[in-house]
Amino acid sequence: MCRLGIYLVCNYPDREGFLRAVELCNRYGVDFLEIGLPFSDPTADGDVIEKASMEVLKRYRMADFLDSTKQARRIFNGRLYIMTYANIVFSYGIDRFAGDFGFIDGLILADVPYRESNRFKKPLSKKGIGFVYFATPESRQEELERLKRDANDFIYFVSIRGTTGGEFRLDDETKRKIEFLKGAKHKVILGFGIRNKQDIENACRYADGVVIGTAAVEAMRGDFETFLLSLRG
Amino acid sequence: MKGYYGQYGGQFVAETLIPALDELEEAFKAFKKNKAAKEELNRYLKDYAGRPTPLYLAKNLSNQLNINIYLKREDLLHSGAHKINNTLGQIILAKFMGKKRIIAETGAGQHGVATATAAALMGLECVIYMGEKDAERQRPNLLRMKLLGAEVRIVKKGSRTLKSAINEALRDWVKNIRTTHYLIGSVVGPYPFPQIVAYFQSVIGREARKQILSKQKSLPDAVIACVGGGSNAIGIFSGFLKDKTVKLYGVEAGGEGLELGKHSAALTKGRPGIMHGALSYLLQDDDGQVSLVHSISAGLDYPGVGPVHSFLKDSGRVKYGVCFDDEALEAFKMLSQLEGIIPALESSHALGYLIKNKEDFARKTVIVNLSGRGDKDLPILEGIYV
Ligand SMILES: Cc1ncc(COP(=O)(O)O)c(C=O)c1O
Repeated sequence: MCRLGIYLVCNYPDREGFLRAVELCNRYGVDFLEIGLPFSDPTADGDVIEKASMEVLKRYRMADFLDSTKQARRIFNGRLYIMTYANIVFSYGIDRFAGDFGFIDGLILADVPYRESNRFKKPLSKKGIGFVYFATPESRQEELERLKRDANDFIYFVSIRGTTGGEFRLDDETKRKIEFLKGAKHKVILGFGIRNKQDIENACRYADGVVIGTAAVEAMRGDFETFLLSLRG
Repeated sequence: MKGYYGQYGGQFVAETLIPALDELEEAFKAFKKNKAAKEELNRYLKDYAGRPTPLYLAKNLSNQLNINIYLKREDLLHSGAHKINNTLGQIILAKFMGKKRIIAETGAGQHGVATATAAALMGLECVIYMGEKDAERQRPNLLRMKLLGAEVRIVKKGSRTLKSAINEALRDWVKNIRTTHYLIGSVVGPYPFPQIVAYFQSVIGREARKQILSKQKSLPDAVIACVGGGSNAIGIFSGFLKDKTVKLYGVEAGGEGLELGKHSAALTKGRPGIMHGALSYLLQDDDGQVSLVHSISAGLDYPGVGPVHSFLKDSGRVKYGVCFDDEALEAFKMLSQLEGIIPALESSHALGYLIKNKEDFARKTVIVNLSGRGDKDLPILEGIYV
């Protein structure tokens, strides 16, 4: 069973639209959600997600994001993750964040690599929030081994060298790395560049699941329901 | 912990970049032990860039202010600023690593020009990211980069200044990690960049210390430098850090005033935060969103600062203050007219701080790091003086 995850920018295009999308994701059996909390300097994101984040930041503040994420938790039955950048959590206070967002399943920080993760991981795990590690096509064997040992429920495999929204492809070396990580207690989820049913089928030959970001954020401006239906055959 | 200055620094980047940072750290270690590479760098610094730069006793200015003022003349270097020390060093390092492509960000354009210069010299492909706002206000440097054969990519997103240019350079790097060296322009970014840039800029302080001792047989009372990211400042400070009698001053851009958004004084008004790969003082709002900032000088117009300066601030070894736009302009005019030296607007901040606090420095011996020359700033000044 290949898991399907959807990434949504919190409160994009607005609070109502965002919550409606969460509801649709729940209705159509999306396995997990990643909610992106916008940051002013999203260096891991491509144009689409960056633009969406900037629009949202003009109208909403952190308190609104907390509120909407809580609401999303009530609506959505699958696992729920937050994806954002280190400073959003650091500035909020890591302990305070772990307390206020205690209802999420995991946290994904685009600019926190394995070796900087401890200061975040410890306070979060006290509240039962997992810290999600990244693997990449650049990861070396000893790093893969450590990940396989230390990961929580989810290893985020960044499929491409680049930002969100790039083109999806897997080279042989990358396929081998995904293969190596699989088979432990966690799921290996592929992200970055996956847009449609065909990409999903391709990715799921190797990974335990996928997450769709840019294409989902684009679809928020059009017919999101049709987009969701198009992902499953 | 590795890569930290006290609690500041680190490697807050996409996991994809970690192996590249490790590779860079290894290469840098090897470089420091490699006699041939260091000799090559020293030869270029001397015969190509124009080192050592003079330490000049500015008599007219000294008389006017009743302070014994020496200027460390980094403005006399090839391409117009201290930035060339770092770009020559890193380009030789990049060649050492077998990289074929160089990317860089630039604010004032000085780092872009220095990178394009070094890349041209070594025959490497070069792409420079520059914010749209900076491209407008530093036009001469835009033209110079192009003439030197670099591709300049104008960044029309975000603040359209240095901060946005760094974001784009980081995005490029993560895509082209195997072929490309990111030649970062100040003591900012993830470890080992702050270390590498400080190492290549330490030549300023080493020379200045020797020169002042030979000229007046004693150490100075104070050393003053402007701080954007902080590379020229750490370069000159490093020569005096251990000399406890020498007071060190870092000057940030106070812009139009100390309200959030009107200045870029990260150490003076910021709080610790994480941006561009490091934990350091950062100008941000209550939610952790990075603030927009302002300075009349493009090279200081940055919401963050190198982690080593955050550490030096907390430890009290360096005192950090501000100089406002109008005070920098006043200093700019004063040096031009009293000494016949047109300083960069960045460097004018260091001078402006000295001038406004002249009572505190009365009869003292002070070295001001004149990090660059002001030719690049003529489009800004045109609007003010002509
Ligand atoms: C002449 C000059 N001085 C100073 C700076 C600020 O950089 P840093 O703080 O790294 O020395 C710049 C940056 O562009 C510059 O061009």
